[in-house]
Amino acid sequence: AQRPSQQETHIHYAQLGTDVTLLCGSVDQDAAVTWTANSTDLDASHLNGSRLVLRNVDLSHSGQYTCYEGPSWHVKYRVNLRVGLPPKEPIVMCRSNNYPNGFYCSWHLPSPTYINDTFNITVVHDSKEIVCKKEMPPKNRCYIQFLQVFSTKKYKVTLTASNPLGSSSTTISFDEFAIVKPDPPENVVAKPVPNNARRLLVSWQYPSSWPDPDSFPLKFFLRYRPLIIDQWQHVELSDGTSHIITDAYAGKEYIIQVAAKDNDIGTWSDWSVAVHATPWTEEPKHLTTEAQGAETTTASTSAFVVPPTTRLSDSDVTDR
Amino acid sequence: RQSIQQMYDLTRYLEHQLHTLAATYLNYLGPPFNEPDFDPPRIIGAKAVPSATVDIQEWHSLNDNARLAANYQAYSYLLRYLRTMDRATPAALPTLHHSLAHFSASLQGLLGSIGGIMASLGYSLPTPEPSVVPQIDPPTFLRKMDDFWLLKELQTWLWRSAKDFNRLRKRVPPSAVMLHLESRGF
Repeated sequence: AQRPSQQETHIHYAQLGTDVTLLCGSVDQDAAVTWTANSTDLDASHLNGSRLVLRNVDLSHSGQYTCYEGPSWHVKYRVNLRVGLPPKEPIVMCRSNNYPNGFYCSWHLPSPTYINDTFNITVVHDSKEIVCKKEMPPKNRCYIQFLQVFSTKKYKVTLTASNPLGSSSTTISFDEFAIVKPDPPENVVAKPVPNNARRLLVSWQYPSSWPDPDSFPLKFFLRYRPLIIDQWQHVELSDGTSHIITDAYAGKEYIIQVAAKDNDIGTWSDWSVAVHATPWTEEPKHLTTEAQGAETTTASTSAFVVPPTTRLSDSDVTDR
Repeated sequence: RQSIQQMYDLTRYLEHQLHTLAATYLNYLGPPFNEPDFDPPRIIGAKAVPSATVDIQEWHSLNDNARLAANYQAYSYLLRYLRTMDRATPAALPTLHHSLAHFSASLQGLLGSIGGIMASLGYSLPTPEPSVVPQIDPPTFLRKMDDFWLLKELQTWLWRSAKDFNRLRKRVPPSAVMLHLESRGF
């Protein structure tokens, strides 16, 4: 049959698993029509007069359906069928990694809907609604600036997810201090301490996202272990951004990570990127003829040579 | 020697102590006060409790004197209220009594410490505002609401003080505290 001119495309949403009836525009129930699905002819078994009936639709039913009216078989109606689900209760999480500047809220749906969803978020604090600046899609995230600090009033965040098949919302409330979670420390470096077979010097920096270390100092949590052992050792440090590990196993490679937390509030950051280091070990002596003679005598008498204990001079970093 | 470090350490100690005390007291008040999402309106007595909440720019701009004075004024009130809570607590709860009394004594120590540092830095003490402190009456729902807000404000003030005093200990060298003491004939 000949397929004439263009026609406006309508959109029809249908829920997964339901039966769908598509009308051929305004034609009579008993008009002679044919239907195609994505340009493939559909046989008469799907027709109920001029209507197209699709049973227990699934995602594969999504697509463009076109109805042609006889006897000229011109395009009478086009409909884009979108099969999906209404949104389930969205999951929203708010966090401040740059306290006290502000916090962001991010959200997602627990399961896909297969059609376009829109999200609307409202943030209320002390009975006032606060603007949540949305980031560009597809990032489901927005940012709220703290206007006050040390607030005893809770923040209430309500997120509504909607699509043509339905909507659902979630409300969470929290105290300002509960959502503070810094980013991990940055530039973690671990180095051996010369002439010390059991020490490692670890240093790091504040996360660059933390805006005011002077007013809001962080404390740190260091964990370290030799690669050959699974058990971590931990040490908490309330000041400073470096630490000397003094009980490392000589000659063993270590893995080290650091986490951060506000001194008073909130939760620990994720662990930093892991760094590796091996404590200092004495350089093997060069075996010259002279040395070899002396060495042979020494080697035969002591099987275990204790590395020389060097007294650290004041200028070295010492662990008081 | 009244050092800012000791004041800061005492604040951190009180912060830690209050977590336990607040949980115990709210459990004594019972539901809904001990439920995590309880967020009552702030009415009548609770309005009198000095709020730690402050505009962020304003807080940054406070000088040392203003910071210390705000803390001093707040704890003067909070301590008076805390003592009424202690007296209103039934005698049948000795443990709670002891915790409240111990905490009040420590808070008195902090108040004295703040006053000492202010004097040593040459600042005059703020005159406590004659705000109304609720009298001891039977634990009505409204009185419980006041207690709830008192504990929450106290927790927030200690959190704010820790930031204030941490900033202070970095800005004011110990010697400045000593010099001023000597110049005032201590």
